[in-house]
Amino acid sequence: MSKNHSILDLIRRNRTPLENHLIDGLVDGRVSRRDFVRHGSLLGLSLPLLGRIGMAAGLGGMPSLARAQGAPGATIRVASSVPAATIDPVSIADAGGLLIMQQVAEFLCVDGPDLVLQPALAESWKPNDNGTVWTFKLRKGVKFHSGGEMKADDVVASIDRLADPANSSNALSVFTGILQKGASKKVDDYTVEFHLDAPNGNFPYMLSSDNYNAVIIPASYKGDYEKSFDGTGPFRIEKYTAKVGASFVRNEDYWGPKALPERTEFTFFTDMQPQILALQGGQVDIINQMPVLAGVALLNDPNIDIISLKSSAHQQLHMRCDEGPLKDARVRRAIALCLDRDKLAAGLMKGRSALGNDSPFAAVYPSTDTSVPQRKQDIAQAKQLMEAAGLGQGFKITLTTERYLEIPEYAQLIQNWVKEIGVELDLNILDQSGYYGDAVFGKSNWLDSVMGITDYGHRGVPNVYLAAPLKSEGTWNAAHFKNKDYDALATSYIAALDLEAQKADAGKIQKLLLEETPVIFGYFYDYLTATAKGVAGVQPTAMSQLFLDKASKA
Amino acid sequence: MTLFLLSIMVFLGGQVLPGNVGRAILGPFADQRAVDALNHTLGVDRPLLAQYWGWISNFVQGDMGTSYIFRSPVAPFVIDALGNSMKLAAVAFVLVVPIGILGGVVAALNLNRPLDRIISLGGLSVTVLPEFVTGIILILIFGVWLRWLPISAAWPRDAGFFTQLYYLILPSLPLFLVLFGYIARMARSGMIEALDSDYTRTAVLKGLPWRTVIWRHVLRNALLPTITVIATQTGYLIGGLVVIETLFRYQGIGSLIFTAARGKDFPMLESGILTIGIVYAVATLVADFLYSVLNPRIRLGSDQ
Repeated sequence: MSKNHSILDLIRRNRTPLENHLIDGLVDGRVSRRDFVRHGSLLGLSLPLLGRIGMAAGLGGMPSLARAQGAPGATIRVASSVPAATIDPVSIADAGGLLIMQQVAEFLCVDGPDLVLQPALAESWKPNDNGTVWTFKLRKGVKFHSGGEMKADDVVASIDRLADPANSSNALSVFTGILQKGASKKVDDYTVEFHLDAPNGNFPYMLSSDNYNAVIIPASYKGDYEKSFDGTGPFRIEKYTAKVGASFVRNEDYWGPKALPERTEFTFFTDMQPQILALQGGQVDIINQMPVLAGVALLNDPNIDIISLKSSAHQQLHMRCDEGPLKDARVRRAIALCLDRDKLAAGLMKGRSALGNDSPFAAVYPSTDTSVPQRKQDIAQAKQLMEAAGLGQGFKITLTTERYLEIPEYAQLIQNWVKEIGVELDLNILDQSGYYGDAVFGKSNWLDSVMGITDYGHRGVPNVYLAAPLKSEGTWNAAHFKNKDYDALATSYIAALDLEAQKADAGKIQKLLLEETPVIFGYFYDYLTATAKGVAGVQPTAMSQLFLDKASKA
Repeated sequence: MTLFLLSIMVFLGGQVLPGNVGRAILGPFADQRAVDALNHTLGVDRPLLAQYWGWISNFVQGDMGTSYIFRSPVAPFVIDALGNSMKLAAVAFVLVVPIGILGGVVAALNLNRPLDRIISLGGLSVTVLPEFVTGIILILIFGVWLRWLPISAAWPRDAGFFTQLYYLILPSLPLFLVLFGYIARMARSGMIEALDSDYTRTAVLKGLPWRTVIWRHVLRNALLPTITVIATQTGYLIGGLVVIETLFRYQGIGSLIFTAARGKDFPMLESGILTIGIVYAVATLVADFLYSVLNPRIRLGSDQ
């Protein structure tokens, strides 16, 4: 297909320099179409417009998002984990509770399964020239279940509440250093400006479903969410029973297309095994989140469909850079070279994962520099590095970690692999609360251990992974990694608005981290949702959200 | 007094668990300022003695306090959970006590014959299998393959008595298997001893019909130790079923205490454990009472 320059020029006329640079990248072939859509949506370009640009650039139409619509009126039954605490949008942190909240309340924008931002309560957004101020235009005519219209005041109050250190906000760690209390400003009833502490090219992700606390609820909210379950979503609450389950009914006043299901029912489980039995026994239609090891039985079950999403979720193996034998970067590299990553992906993760290259840049991110060579198992080189570090005879060290998902098995594999270079690992596998402790330096096995494995959930952009676990002053820096060059690169990456600038920084960060290897990123595992055959239109995200408004049953 | 000591032990034990309440609720990745703010709101940053005193002084007046995790009163949670636990225990009890005793009696009357061997060995073998093994096997057979019984004990809303009963059959079966061997064994050895005793021989020799001997003389004496065993198992049936409750997704008091301990939800933990303590005490009392009814020799205050 040929390029249509007259249409491209017409489209370019009203665009900012930043947006035009992205369009140039697509036309010249420096930016792939997938990355173009993703980054364009981040800059606030609408999906139809991105589609027109793609057509004009001679790449053909965008893949249609419309699917064959199933029959309305079903009751969809979901198995999910028990909400671990009271459901309060400000403090909530667990997957079970977030899932329930997300059924009724909505975000300004949604980070979809393909990591493309989609507008929800915000219709569009735009940065200023250097990315320090982002302006969000709100959708008009959106009604809360309690009746009032959603306006700028509600958005400002919802976000301000999360940025306030006095509120036990779980989003505080996301907003620290980025958005302060009082920095969200109403321009008019349908426009809100966010004034950031520092330039940030990925800020819309922090107001999207990616920052799972950032739902918009009425400005008058007083902290008793379980009394109202107020929101703007396609479903409204019918009944919630703590520790047992919840049910929802279709919201007939919804601003968008009305939900297909008549009702949805959520049943809470503390363990995976009973969920699997319930799905096999036909008592539920969906298991929202299924870890690959626990769900092996379902992977090849002909009566079950598996929805597999590429994600950036991973287990970080940190090594203390400030003391002991791991202080020497050569030793850390040697250990990283012992891992047989192909075996991890194919065996441990049953093919449901992507290889990690010892940096947070997973293959799913468009900014990842894919030209950086993949680290592979190389025992000979590892032995050389050990000799060079004067530790050819090996040493003994403790690997501390948590009993969670496949982590204990992962630790055992590592234990076997590093034996080859004379490193003897003592495994100390703790209960999760024992591993995390108080989660501050000096009072936490996680942050104080000389070597440990920690679970990190999926994020739509790598910003969080780049800052807290790796920056010199990072609050989750279990590796005690302090490197000024890294800090500067990470800050530069986070500030960059332009995809190619991000990619350039990413490449440098990837190389630096391969050299230093404070943390081993062995694999990034897929997010799995299991459904009974005949259930269609289910849309999970790797943040354990589940959108059921288009769900149907055969 | 025992209960008071128990409450102090639970409180001190709870302090030894790693982490704090705010951290448990907000997760390891939350900002420390947010954790501090939450701990302050919940009042868990107060001195230990003040926290304990604040709770126990309300508890003795019948107020179980407010859950840290759910931020609502504890009492409805404990009452619901205890009710559920008692329902499950009752179903298991009704199944296992008559069948267990019958099994023991039949075994004793057929001493060393094949039937005795089958009951004794069979009962013993299933008793040593842990509940999570028998539970999963039973779920697979009756829930997944045959689809005769629901695999979850959580019945639908507004379910009537019989529906609830239907949902409780499968979860009570593993309990039945654990207890059957135990009760049957006690009943069997009690029977053997009683059949062997002088008073049975006397009764037989004075020409009473066999049926009367068994009913009036043997059984009454043979079942005394069995009753003690059953009473001590009542506490287990109500408070010790974390595994079964998890497997069958049942909201009993065992799983309530388990989640409370994990979340360091002290008011919930204390109230749950003290409730079980009270249940144990009551069960023991009832056993003593039954014992005295059945055994005239220790009827206190009686002259004959």
